[in-house]
Amino acid sequence: MIPSLAGIVTICLCVLPLLLSGPYYVHVFILTMVNIVLASSLRLINLSGQMSLAHGGMMTIGAYTSALLVMKAGLSFWVAMPISGLCTALIAYVVGYPFVRLKGIYFSIVTIFFSEVVVLTAQQWQSLTGGAAGIFGIPRPNPVSLFGILHVDFSSKVEFYYLALALMLISLIILYAVEKSRIGMVLRGVQQADSLAESVGIDTTGFKVLAFTVGSFFPGVLGAFYSHYISAVNPDAFSFLFTIYILIYMTVGGEKGFFGPVLGAAVLTILPEVSRPLKAFEPFVFAAVLIAVIFFVPEGMAGIPQMVRRVKTAHEKGAADA
Amino acid sequence: METTALAQSVLNGLALSGIYILIALGLTLVMSIMGIVQVAHGEIYMIGAYSVYYVVAVLGGNFFLGIVVSTLFVGGLGVLLERLCFRPFRGRADRAFTISIALILILQNVVLALAGGNPRSFSSPFSGVVHLLGVAISWKRLVIVLVGLGLLVGLFLFIKLTRTGQAMLAISQEREGAALQGMNIDRVSATAMFLGCGLAAVAGGFIGSLFSISPTMGSFALMKGIAVIILGGLGSIPGAVVGGLILGLVDGVLPALTTTHIAGLVGFAAIIMILIFRPQGIGGHEG
Repeated sequence: MIPSLAGIVTICLCVLPLLLSGPYYVHVFILTMVNIVLASSLRLINLSGQMSLAHGGMMTIGAYTSALLVMKAGLSFWVAMPISGLCTALIAYVVGYPFVRLKGIYFSIVTIFFSEVVVLTAQQWQSLTGGAAGIFGIPRPNPVSLFGILHVDFSSKVEFYYLALALMLISLIILYAVEKSRIGMVLRGVQQADSLAESVGIDTTGFKVLAFTVGSFFPGVLGAFYSHYISAVNPDAFSFLFTIYILIYMTVGGEKGFFGPVLGAAVLTILPEVSRPLKAFEPFVFAAVLIAVIFFVPEGMAGIPQMVRRVKTAHEKGAADA
Repeated sequence: METTALAQSVLNGLALSGIYILIALGLTLVMSIMGIVQVAHGEIYMIGAYSVYYVVAVLGGNFFLGIVVSTLFVGGLGVLLERLCFRPFRGRADRAFTISIALILILQNVVLALAGGNPRSFSSPFSGVVHLLGVAISWKRLVIVLVGLGLLVGLFLFIKLTRTGQAMLAISQEREGAALQGMNIDRVSATAMFLGCGLAAVAGGFIGSLFSISPTMGSFALMKGIAVIILGGLGSIPGAVVGGLILGLVDGVLPALTTTHIAGLVGFAAIIMILIFRPQGIGGHEG
């Protein structure tokens, strides 16, 4: 069922720009797809039982790396984007070893501090990063020719839309494959019983670092994409609030299943754009929704059908017993 | 740097220390009794500052009345939050942590909607400077140091001398054991939340007499508060005092020597290092 459903959604997304009126809605869908990848990659880190709040910092690293590689080193965007992802992953790998020694909330706190260090570094290192103003005039991706017939020069949002779509599909496929592989199973084991996993000979530290590294690769790539898309980056672009939003997408959508964060990011990015009053009180509404979900639907939106089914069965059982 | 200038920044740092210690004491109290890192503590401090602002600048009341009203109001808010948001998730630290993250946004936006985003300020009854050993220090800052010291002694006596204080100590050491001895964890948690939030409200009120206040002022306080309790050792009151002293002095002196960004960087890097290499901090114990 899932492959056919995913296929249908993909086809819909491919023809969607033809139906959307105006570049604004194209922009909303680009944001949605970026957020989907961010929330899903955050969930990969979460699978190992640790909640990272460094996604904003990682995205900043990716954005600056790509902008500098293209503007100062003269690399092509198509080379700079994957390198940015790898650089971000490398940094995550290096800081990952000391960070994962901290358990639970202390890991989350050290990742918040890490993001602050990234922001302060970007502000301080003026000769390289342009200080608090950041970098602007980041060039569009170099034009490409697809199959020799389709010439794409990224002069309109629709072309960025298809790039974002491609990035999202590739990212989700990789994340899905990782989760269904042995690695995903081990991560779940580590999440559920850290010391038990260690006692049967699993290198829990290694797997936690792996999850942190792979999970930070995606914000690196998306940061690169985003900085070239809006053609600017500054130290506060991906602030603490931004990171909290990603956490909210993941938790509200449901962190148990693979498609929870996808659902959460899609609904919570698109809904405020449709309803203006919602947009005005966005942080408040998001936080209230988050609290409501934690209290009443701990498995998130993706868990609602199952919950309804469970209540129904219990109800019928009760009726049968009576 | 000249000696007087250095002495000046040391004294300014001490006033910062007073504020940091008040914030950190509240955080560490809540953390050791309830077992959660209450990251909306910065917003509690912000609401404390706004409460004083309302009493002093809007209603035209006395500054001290403002501090008292603010402490009671914010303490009550803390008790309410403990009952509604944190008690249902006792023992689920990750859930409580996420809830307190959501509270940051909620409290910030409620204040934003009620008071607007413009920075506000109010006057304090203290003005002028005192000359101490050839260095001028403003009364406003000196009062912060003295009030911080007074509250610290008060808290220490409360924990040492009262039954509730002793229960707090017991619960922070061994929650199940304390419950088995018949201590009422619910009531002690509520008391801890009241005291912790009240201390933050006092800190907020006094910072409002120095600088202008805004709905987003809490994140800075939270970062400093967390840094202090990590430096001093989680759950340790003497640790929070020493940590607050060190961080306040560093923040008072370092920006005068380098840029504020570098000072911030050094601070965060040091905290990350401490978390990694000496997670128990200066005064804390393992576990």
